Order: sequence, then C-alpha cells, then structure tokens
Amino acid sequence: MSTLFSGQLLFAALVVGSIYVLIALGLNLVFGTMRLLDAAHGDIVMLGAYTSFWLFTLSGMSPLLSMLVAGALSAGFGAAIYYGLFRRLLANTQLSQRLEGNSLLLFFGISIILQNVAALCFDTTPRAYTYLDGIIRFGNVAMTGNRIAVLIIAAVLCAAAFLFLRFHIYGLAIKALIQHRQAAAVVGVNIERIQLLSFAIGFGLAGLAGSLLSMTEQITPFMGFPFTVAGFVTVILGGLGNLTRGMAAGMFLGFVEIYGVALTSPSLHSVLIYGVFIVVLFLQSQGLLGRRPS
Amino acid sequence: MVDKLVGKLNALAVLNNNALGETHMLKKALLALAIGSGLLLPGTADAADPVKVGFAVAKTGLFAGAADGQIKIYELWKDQVNARGGLDVKGVKRPVELVYYDDQSDAGKVVQIYEKLITGDKVDLLLAPYGTSSHIAAAGVVERYKFPMVGNTAASVKLREIKPGNIWFTTGQMPDRLAVSLVELFKLKGIKSIALLANQLPFSLESKTYLVPALTKAGIEVKVSEEYPPSIKDMTAMLINVKQANPDAVVAFSFPSDSAIYLKQARELGIDAKFQFVEVGPTEAAFAKQFGEALNGIVTMGHWTPDNKQWTGARALFDSYVQKYNEPPSYLNAPLVYMSCQILEQAVAKVGLDRDAIRKTIATDTFDTVNGPVKFEGIENVGTPAGLLQIQGGNMTLIWPPSIATADFKPKPAWPAK
Repeated sequence: MSTLFSGQLLFAALVVGSIYVLIALGLNLVFGTMRLLDAAHGDIVMLGAYTSFWLFTLSGMSPLLSMLVAGALSAGFGAAIYYGLFRRLLANTQLSQRLEGNSLLLFFGISIILQNVAALCFDTTPRAYTYLDGIIRFGNVAMTGNRIAVLIIAAVLCAAAFLFLRFHIYGLAIKALIQHRQAAAVVGVNIERIQLLSFAIGFGLAGLAGSLLSMTEQITPFMGFPFTVAGFVTVILGGLGNLTRGMAAGMFLGFVEIYGVALTSPSLHSVLIYGVFIVVLFLQSQGLLGRRPS
Repeated sequence: MVDKLVGKLNALAVLNNNALGETHMLKKALLALAIGSGLLLPGTADAADPVKVGFAVAKTGLFAGAADGQIKIYELWKDQVNARGGLDVKGVKRPVELVYYDDQSDAGKVVQIYEKLITGDKVDLLLAPYGTSSHIAAAGVVERYKFPMVGNTAASVKLREIKPGNIWFTTGQMPDRLAVSLVELFKLKGIKSIALLANQLPFSLESKTYLVPALTKAGIEVKVSEEYPPSIKDMTAMLINVKQANPDAVVAFSFPSDSAIYLKQARELGIDAKFQFVEVGPTEAAFAKQFGEALNGIVTMGHWTPDNKQWTGARALFDSYVQKYNEPPSYLNAPLVYMSCQILEQAVAKVGLDRDAIRKTIATDTFDTVNGPVKFEGIENVGTPAGLLQIQGGNMTLIWPPSIATADFKPKPAWPAK
C-alpha cells in the first residue's frame, strides 16, 4: 500500500497523463470543429518522433528545438490534408452530413499509408537516441531529465492552449464553431479559416507530442496506434468536442493507468483502461466529464 | 504447365478415338517444344530456374521492430548465395528468389500465408516467421503438408512435447534449458533472491514456468513475481515493488519494447541488483544507441559471438552485416536466423529439393554453422548450449556456459548518472 503514496508513482502518472492530454487535445480540436474522426492522429505523433530523431541524429539538433520543426511540419501536413481532402467535402452540405463516418475510413487509410511509407523509408528497426538522460532527484523521487522536460513542456502547451481558447479571438471562434456551426457563421466567424486553423493546431500538437516522446521511447513506424486508441478513449471520456474536459480526461486516464496497475496487477493494465471506458459510457453516455443534454 | 497440357490432351484422346493419331502428333510436338525452350519437367529443373524460398514476415504489428533483423538476414543470405552462383541443389546451382508476405504479427495470418506459399506460390523451400507464437501457428501448416521448415527466432517446450516432424529450432535456449543455465550461474555467483517480471507472450511465460521450480529447488527465494501484457507503457508500480524487495537479481522475461521500458525505469528508480537479466532486446542496435553506458552489466539471452574462431563464418557474418546495413547484427537473432538458412542450404546441397529427403537429413545430420555444429534431437538443437551474454564495456560478451564463454560474469556496475 505504501507504493500508492510514492512520489515516483505520482510523477509517472503525470508524465503519462500529460502526453495523453496533448494527443487528445489535438484529436478533439479536429473532431469538435469539423466532426472528423482522425484515426491517423497517432501516426502524426510517429512522424513528429521521426522528425526529432533524424534531426538529432543527422545534425545534432536538440529535440527541444526540433519539436518546433516537428510541430510546424505536422501543422503544414494537417493544412495540406485539409485542403486536399476535406475542404470541399466540408463545404458540401450533403457530403458533410456523411463525413463523420466517412472521415474515420479516410483517416484510417491515411494511417495505413503513413505507417507503410515510414516503414519503407526508415525500415521497421526501432530507433532511439539519448538526450537529457541524467537523473535528477527530488527527495525520494528520481526522474530522468527528459521525462521532466516532457512534463513541463506538455504543461506549458496545455496552459497556452487553454489561454488561447479562452482569450484569443481565434480560440473563441474555435469554441463557437464547436458549440454551433451555423450560429458561428451567422455572427461572422470565418468557418473555413477556423477549420484550417483547427487542423493545423491539432496536427501540430500531435507532432510536438511525438517529438517529446522521441526522447523517452523507441521510435517505430507503428508506435502511433496505441496513442490513437488512448486519444479516442480520452476524448470520449471527456465528451467528444469538449476541449477542456478532454484535457482533464487525459490526465485521469494517465492516473487510471498507473494507479490502477499499482492497486491491482500489471496484467490487468488493458482491462483497467477499457473497463473504465466502458463503465463510464454505460453510466454516462456523454462521457465522465461531459454535460448531460439539458 | 506442360504436364497439364499433356494430361488434357490424353483425356481428349480417350474421348475421341477418331482423332488419336493427330493428338499423338500434337503431344509429341508440345514435348519437343518444351524441351527445346528449356521448360523441363519437375525434378530436372534448369540451372537458371530460381529456387523459390517462402516465408511470412512481421513487417507490421507487435513484432515489427524485432523482426526487422530477421528479414535483413534472409536478404543477406540470399545475396550471398546468389553471389556464389546460386543455391547448390544437389550439384546444380540455381538462383534464390525470396517470396514473402507481411503477417502483421498475427498468428492467424501466419497460417494463411504458409498455406498460400505452399499451395498457391508452390515455393520450393520454407523459412520461418518471427517469434514463438508465429512458429507454433506455422507448425500446424508444415505438419499438414509435411513441408520441412527450420525455425529460428523461437523456442517452445510445449511444441517439443507434441513431437512434430517438420519444424526445428536453431536456438540452444529452450525455456527449460535457459532456466537451468540461469540457476547454475545464480548459484555460482551467490544469488539468494530474485525478482521476476514476465511479459505474457508464450516464450516469456514458458521461461517463467521452468525458472520458478528450478529456483525453488536451488533454494533461491522469489521475492517479487509479476506478469504484464505486451502493451505495457509504464512499469513504475512494478519496479517500486522490486526496489522495496531489494533482491540479489532481477529477471525480466521481456521483449524489446518492454525491455526498453524496464531499462529506462530501473535506472530512474536506481534498482541496483548486481545481476539484472533482460531477455530479448539488449542485443539490438537501437538499445546501444538509446542506453549507451547504462547497458553495461546487463545480462541477456544469446549463445553467439563473432569472436569465437572455431565457428566458421562467425566473423564474416558480423562483417558482411555491418557492410550491408551499417549497424551491428543482433547477437541473439542474427545468428539464429542465419543458422536456419545454413542448415537448409546444406540439406539441399546434399539431397536436393525432395521434402522427405530434406526432412530426414535435417533430423539426422550434423550441420556446420556460424554458431558451431548443430544437431537436432526431435525439434531441439542439442549441439548448441544455452548461453548468456553480458554487456561489458559496451561490448556483447559471452559469459555462460564456460565451454564457450569468452569472459566471466561481472557484477553490474551502478547505473550511470548521466
């Protein structure tokens, strides 16, 4: 039982949760504004991780810098996907009604293409590098520098996203679009621009998350899928399209994963995550933190 | 194709006696054409005809990272054989052509692929898929078709007990023998207690099944025993328990992705057992890049080194792999996979492509490989001992058993702070 009060466990839960928060935030932005189910979100995480890996390996660039490159490239890729695949579909009222289901298939296809292109280009050998690997101790809690960096940067990004959505005109426009698409258009929100922005920010955050993960995990073309699943579990727990509650749900999932294992058994790891997911949906269909329709 | 045509023509001849003379003429003409163009009947294949060698490969899915080294060795072997003029098929050199499909690390797909390779692609020879679960899946197919296949990256006592006749394992590390090796070394080094962590994959679980009674028999206490799923992303809770138990040794029956998590978090938590065994992964090039000095002192599974001069071709395998792929081969999987190719190659050189003859040859002969002589009893390679490697000063070093060891075990140094 003393394990439960260990600072080490708290730190692990915060690190895992913060990654889930970042991933879920991007996923939720794309879903909330356009009702698109991005099944390739984890693969953007993978591309971000490879970007930082190659920049570090070939030029020695710190991942703390290359995360900006990874974020920008991912955002650019998101914009390209928006213009190339979804802009016209979203503009067409008839097509856009079917788009929620179709987007899952489209993104699933993109996911397979990205994974296989990465496997062709980089082969499937796991890649890794060492950065900020020194151990820092706070009392009884030992942490590697890179995990602390993950936690701090994720927290800063989440805080920035929170402030952006609350105070910036574009952030408010994103929230308006999520709340009521037609009403947002009526009050003058440039729907197309906001959709593009959501795509770019959503993909950019995934790329940044991948860049952070590259410091702590081995990188393979297939590393993204578990994060896509975790992202979907998180946004559904928080309520689809609800950005701030989605962020809270990401942290909740991190705590369930780490403390659940400590309380029960590691062999119940997957049972715990999906068990909580199913129980929450069963008890409250709007998600654990979602609002019931009034 | 010629056979089919001849068969159809014969059937036609029976049905139409009136046209017998003309049909006979046509048959003769076709046979002459076939012989003239080099399309010969089975058993008398032309030297230019490739030998089709089929296998399933985990290009995607759980084993994709670990299996990459396997396909690299298959490709290297094919290039080497073709550079030598082709595969020696009982005196006739024929080029090797690889036929393979992605099994997505899914045992169900493995079955489908081996069925297709045998019945659809009609391959001449089979090589193995990656991992124990895939081998067990493929074993059913090769038994049904009585198609011999030398396995490599796998071992299973359960499969050995079924006594199949068409599959063999090149490893010397059947889980029961690995357990004996570990316990012998534990006793020698005064290990009194261990913590045991096991991935829920077949090989890891079998390893655990045989280690626990062997430890009990030797009077070694198991202070922590945990199992976890292959999808695990964080081991903090388990490793806090290990640290609190303070065992003399930690045994992690792990696969590459969870081995990396163990190494990262054991270092973070400062688990300072002097004997830390990490089953699969530390021999891969990515581990050296990710962990560097932190790998020093880690013991892992493996019975090969390029430094043993008595093993013909050991150093050449290392050098040719580095030359082709610009990174060192895995000391665990690379030799196992290469050995399976060598055994098949030597059997085919002796008896050709006849499956019954290949099966008998593999089951009875002794083969000269990059890991020394290989001799099978049932499916098990009894010619190679269950060895252990330790990373010492950044190098893979064979430390067990004494008959092939190039250095003694050294207690694991403290984890580097940076």
